[in-house]
Amino acid sequence: MSIPTAKLKKPTLKVTPSSRAMNISTSGILRLNRSATYARSINASVSRKSFCLAADSKILEKSSVQTPKHTIQVLDENGKDVTPRPVYQPDPAAVQSKHSKIFASDTSGGTMSDFYSTTYQTTTNASFAGAFTRSLFGSGSVSIGSQSIMESMSEEIEDPSSKRDNSISLSDVQVKREEVKELIQEEMLDDMVDLYLVESDTLCLLDMPAISVSVDSMEAESVKERNSRYTELCKNRTGNDKYMGRSMQTFNGASKTKEVQSEAITMADAATIANNWDMYDSFCSAGQGEVDLSTDTDKASIAEMIHQNHGPTRTMERTMSVISSSTIVSSSSSRMEMEPFVVPSESKPDPELILQSEEFQQHLFVMERIILENIYQPKLAAYRQLPTLEDPDSMPKAVPMVVSRREESSLDEEGPPTPALERLWSFSCELTTGRNVSSMAWNKRNPDLLAVGYGQFAFKDQKPGLVCCWSLKNPSWPERIFTCQSGVTALDFSASSASMLAVGMHDGTIATYNVQSREKTPVIDSSDCVHKHTSPVWQVRWINHERALSGEDKGEALISVSADGRISKWFLRKGLDCIDLMKLKRTRNDRFKRQVGEKERKSEALISRQAPGLCFDFHPTDSNIYLAGTEEGHIHKCSCSYNEQFLETYQAHKGPLYRITWSPFCSDVFLSCSSDWTIQLWRQDLFTPVLGFMSTQRAVYDVMWSPKWATVFGAVNEGRMEIWDLGASILDPTIVNPASPGVKLTSLLFATETDCVLVGDSDGQVSVYQLKNFTAGEGTQVGTLEDIIGSTLASQL
Amino acid sequence: MAEVEETLKRIQSQKGVQGIIIVNAEGIPIKTTLDNSSTVQYAGLIHQSVMKARSTVRDIDPQNDLTFLRIRSKKNEIMIAPDKDYFLIVIQNPSD
Repeated sequence: MSIPTAKLKKPTLKVTPSSRAMNISTSGILRLNRSATYARSINASVSRKSFCLAADSKILEKSSVQTPKHTIQVLDENGKDVTPRPVYQPDPAAVQSKHSKIFASDTSGGTMSDFYSTTYQTTTNASFAGAFTRSLFGSGSVSIGSQSIMESMSEEIEDPSSKRDNSISLSDVQVKREEVKELIQEEMLDDMVDLYLVESDTLCLLDMPAISVSVDSMEAESVKERNSRYTELCKNRTGNDKYMGRSMQTFNGASKTKEVQSEAITMADAATIANNWDMYDSFCSAGQGEVDLSTDTDKASIAEMIHQNHGPTRTMERTMSVISSSTIVSSSSSRMEMEPFVVPSESKPDPELILQSEEFQQHLFVMERIILENIYQPKLAAYRQLPTLEDPDSMPKAVPMVVSRREESSLDEEGPPTPALERLWSFSCELTTGRNVSSMAWNKRNPDLLAVGYGQFAFKDQKPGLVCCWSLKNPSWPERIFTCQSGVTALDFSASSASMLAVGMHDGTIATYNVQSREKTPVIDSSDCVHKHTSPVWQVRWINHERALSGEDKGEALISVSADGRISKWFLRKGLDCIDLMKLKRTRNDRFKRQVGEKERKSEALISRQAPGLCFDFHPTDSNIYLAGTEEGHIHKCSCSYNEQFLETYQAHKGPLYRITWSPFCSDVFLSCSSDWTIQLWRQDLFTPVLGFMSTQRAVYDVMWSPKWATVFGAVNEGRMEIWDLGASILDPTIVNPASPGVKLTSLLFATETDCVLVGDSDGQVSVYQLKNFTAGEGTQVGTLEDIIGSTLASQL
Repeated sequence: MAEVEETLKRIQSQKGVQGIIIVNAEGIPIKTTLDNSSTVQYAGLIHQSVMKARSTVRDIDPQNDLTFLRIRSKKNEIMIAPDKDYFLIVIQNPSD
């Protein structure tokens, strides 16, 4: 409802607290009612007038008196007391049963006028309806509907404590009502209750006198007379000096247009797509943000990836997608900058940080491998004996004629294709060029991992050695690089702890490295040991002793042979950190007096008359027996149980023995190679070699049995690499691969699972060759070997 | 840091590698070996692709995530290693 704002055209009224309070805000409506009321009593009229006056002065609204118990006096500007007097003096004695009717009834539906009509009906409390209403509200027993009415009428509600006296009486009455209510119990429902209906005084609320009067009524005469008098008056009016017409003009208020302009409300569209994973992410991150399911924007094609579910980053992501789309559309120059884009958010790391982070390195590592895999894919596939697939998009480089010819030859049934070696790739990098490959070893657990030791053989031109661990997945850069102070001459991976690599060096030091860690230093080093080797260590091997001689011998031990004539067993105690190099010094004195023909042993002291040992090999099944080769050309069979005596000696070579190796298939056959250009095949019960192989007049540096066939072995001499197949020929090697000019081949290693051979040379390259069209036959050919040996022996006799 | 530089150099010198681009999470290149316009083009386009691919993978299983993306085309191969903060993009033509 709209209360007309205060128009202070009337004399202002002062409201003093002595007068009764009145709720002026309600007066607007009251005025309506009031004006309609036909006042009978002077009291009422007075009050009406004052009421209206009071109604005009709406200032009193706000200042509606908060002071309880104070009576308010409204004074005219002349000082007249125009305090409206209460219309109603409540009779406290009277039981107002109708109260309950009012209060209990739901007035929420009633309109304001209705409400007031009901109040007038009862005239319960009408000091002024204002106070009444206020107290009404203050009593708090009215339903919420009246609340709304009250609110629309007045902003402030007086405290219930500030009731008027009549309100108090009302509340008393109300309390009585409440009490009455409480007493009604269940059992009373059955009582006989007497109700008396009495007629109350008639209250006249509205009296609208009729305009017309019946002719028969008593007043008819007076009315008629009055009417006639009036018509006469009207007739006399024209032209009568008593009456003068006067016109008035009302002022029209000057209108003034007033405009208000507000800032345009900027709208921004926000939209996002809720993905499956987005919901999952927000669920996992303890549900911070909500998912806005709004309509897609026109950039719906860009799927937004939201890392964190916070508001700011979300907008950032959106702007990112905006940026990326705008980049395509128009390459603005600001995007061309290579400088890092500084974003004021802590979630975006510095580009420097990115480049240094662990994950970045890891990604680079993987990426490098993948790139190399792309490059080397055919080679690696050949290595792993997978069919190589032709890249359908690459341009055919080879002349198609050649291809067909090759196909023809392979389909040729007449003769078996000649076995050949195909070079797949080579492990080399700039670090290794110029170094001599001295030894190679496969990792026992990971067949893709290869350790290569680089060191010079000769005494002169010694330089710091290098150990590189290569992975098949990256032939261009080693996985691990260890620099050693002197040339590396021997390598072996441990079988029990697969990441331990034992390295023997030219100055006699033995070190073990842990290839899993990124450290460049060895785990342990023998340089502090008292009994360390004083001459180059030519071979190291991890040997697993199954039969324990004593409690300490069980487990894996590191055996080394060096040029100072000792085969030492290096013992790593099982303590965690404290690695005790307790070398079980089993000296094998290889001094041999040719004249005497006796075998002399030597005790602890190192004498220069010990023959330097160059190689050794433990028996594949009996870990107590081993063979040792010396520089004199003798092979000694020894046992771990006896450290004083040799079991046997085999003499045939005329030069230092570079390699001895037992056959992995026939347990009493072994091979030896030396610098006297020969390779000898022995059987351990015979003191002369069964077979000897010589192909060129070069020293044979390395020989190794093939892990697949008993009759096949590979040998490497200075100028070339040879694969011998005894089943095919015992006089000539089956496959010969010459070395590049100027390069000496120094070591050989068969790959365990594939038909590949690795050859190391003096230029630091380890080349991987695949044996093509080569097979020695079905099975391991053990029988063939034995047959060959048998027939040879038979022919010798 | 030096190791990272070394590795980058090695990758760059591998056979057939046409370029390396490192892009941050917003699609802005922070390191590149290609020229400007190509870099920007690659960065923008690949960013979208990776987002889409990642979204695909994660939609199927939200616990999964994209670790590597390879796009093999007729002329070359684009390899992308995505991460939370950056993308590593390498373009290679292995048959060169």
